[in-house]
Amino acid sequence: MVSKVLVANRGEIACRILRACSEAGLESVAIYAENDAASLFVELADESVMLHGETIAETYLDQNQILMIAGETGADAIHPGFGFLSERADFARAVTAAGIQWVGPSANAIEKMGDKMTARITMRDAGVPVIPGEEIESTDEEEALIAIQQASTRVGYPLLLKASSGGGGKGMRAVEHPEELLDAARSARREALAAFGDGRVYLERLLTGSKHVEIQVLADRHGRTIHLGERECSVQRRHQKVFEEAPCATMTEEIRAAMGKAAVAAAMAVNYEGAGTVEFLLAPNGEFFFLEMNTRIQVEHPVTELVTGVDIVREQLRIAAGEPMSCGELHIRGHAIEVRLYAEDASNNFLPAIGPLAVFIPPEGPGIRLDTGVRQGDEVTPNYDPMLAKLIVWAPSREEALQRMRRSLEEFVVLGTTTNLRFLRELCDVPDVMEGATDTTMIDRLWPNGWSPSVPVHIEDAALMAAAVGESAGLHRLRSTPSTRSDDPSGPASPFATLNRRYP
Amino acid sequence: MHHQFNSPDGPVDVTVAKQGDDWILGEHKAVLESDGRIRIHLANGVSGYATVAKVGDNWWVHFQGHTFNLERIEPGATQGGNDGGLTAPMPGKVLDVLVEEGQSVESGQTLMVLEAMKMEHRILASATGTITEVYFSAGDQVQQGSVLLAMTEEED
Repeated sequence: MVSKVLVANRGEIACRILRACSEAGLESVAIYAENDAASLFVELADESVMLHGETIAETYLDQNQILMIAGETGADAIHPGFGFLSERADFARAVTAAGIQWVGPSANAIEKMGDKMTARITMRDAGVPVIPGEEIESTDEEEALIAIQQASTRVGYPLLLKASSGGGGKGMRAVEHPEELLDAARSARREALAAFGDGRVYLERLLTGSKHVEIQVLADRHGRTIHLGERECSVQRRHQKVFEEAPCATMTEEIRAAMGKAAVAAAMAVNYEGAGTVEFLLAPNGEFFFLEMNTRIQVEHPVTELVTGVDIVREQLRIAAGEPMSCGELHIRGHAIEVRLYAEDASNNFLPAIGPLAVFIPPEGPGIRLDTGVRQGDEVTPNYDPMLAKLIVWAPSREEALQRMRRSLEEFVVLGTTTNLRFLRELCDVPDVMEGATDTTMIDRLWPNGWSPSVPVHIEDAALMAAAVGESAGLHRLRSTPSTRSDDPSGPASPFATLNRRYP
Repeated sequence: MHHQFNSPDGPVDVTVAKQGDDWILGEHKAVLESDGRIRIHLANGVSGYATVAKVGDNWWVHFQGHTFNLERIEPGATQGGNDGGLTAPMPGKVLDVLVEEGQSVESGQTLMVLEAMKMEHRILASATGTITEVYFSAGDQVQQGSVLLAMTEEED
């Protein structure tokens, strides 16, 4: 039984989970750092408890403090969301040892998938195709380098060096030519050792022109392990996804069935429980290879929810409570696309941006879903991830979904902080995106020297005119928060109203 | 009225004139709506609503799927550490309030002194006019962008 869920996360995903708790009739507890006291997710919880401490390590990563709060509030389950403690086997173990239900797979499954070399070996043994390559177990620098050199002749070039404890592109090096190998191996090991305390790296053949395709799986304690079809997330910048969709535009029934079967086998090989994602590289010839398994809810889970009709977070809660999952046969209906709205300057190497959300007006209308943790008046700070929201659209066909995404992105108004809205909008017009011919190198290939917006002269004229009219009319003094939504009927703002607002 | 904005290609001069309810810029026309948006009619027939917000010295404008961040260059030289606006340039503390409601002020006169990030910032009158509201007293904490005072400008 689960009756009260502590959400050990913040921002957008905390909001997503807290809303699911509310819909499931479960009580909820939010935990928050002091600089998050005014954040939306704190409001959405039945109870919220402030974490002591300044840094992320002292707050959202402080296992003991979180367990203590769970005890004090009587929470009988902990949902870790993604990031933070979500893939920390030691935390999953500590939660379970405290008699609290962990919403996720066992610590053992997290460990087996978290170490990339172990995961490769486990998958190979389970009959899941892995990228041709070799594991290098040696921890001794000289021994490892010799082994890497020997393995490289068997793997072939170009190849990829990857940290066994890696993630987010850290400890990863692409090697084109044999003479670059040793330098790349040394720097990958150094980086991995610094980031993860584990310098082990392994080799994989670099598969160019491949798609990043992943399968959502669900497993309950009643013997069911199923997949919910695929998502394609090939469009990435700096190893981070920005544009995700379901289904994959080039998917066939045969490949989906084979990939789904491999993903289910992967989950069953580690006695998986709950929601997870098995990532594959899909080569142009239809061959696919296991990349890694994410043992948690993923950022892009909504596209699967929209095309399958399954509420994945709700299923996570159901499975954690020991109930059978509620979904039946897999039916994929229509097409869904998600874009990640980041506070970043896409025209300046995607540098994170900060500032007030002086205006934040999301698009509305049929087929639109917005998952966000912010609202107008909030401040984007350098303290956390710069992802502001996920904009997800659904339509009967891929073409219509793209049209809907274009319309939504044009309606979306965010003022006060630089965002990647325009970059996302232009992405929708890229021929490869329109044809579904995206691969993982697309952004670098299309904009090798960086992206910059193309702005028609008359649009720029309009903007300058609007600014000049705003200044001339004293618009900034007339109203403290310009908005098309809430025209204050009480007349001029009182000084007290102004005091409560953070931005003009 | 004449304004200057910073663009990647250097300062841009924009002069808009008011005719009845309309603002005119060459062949372009704009109308300020009661909800604060600006209805733009461009000479080429394109029209639509612009949403605007001023943060510090910068006008943020959204028009037809494009977002602009236009820094306004204050008329005359800028004084050290001062942004010329009546909003707090960064979070800080009010050190001194030098004017009261109803007082007439000259353009460039110091109205308030803030301390932020260990530096003093003087809030100056951007025009000649009358102070209508003073929202903070000495010792108050202010957030970045908080409106500190309100004033009406003398008709020019």
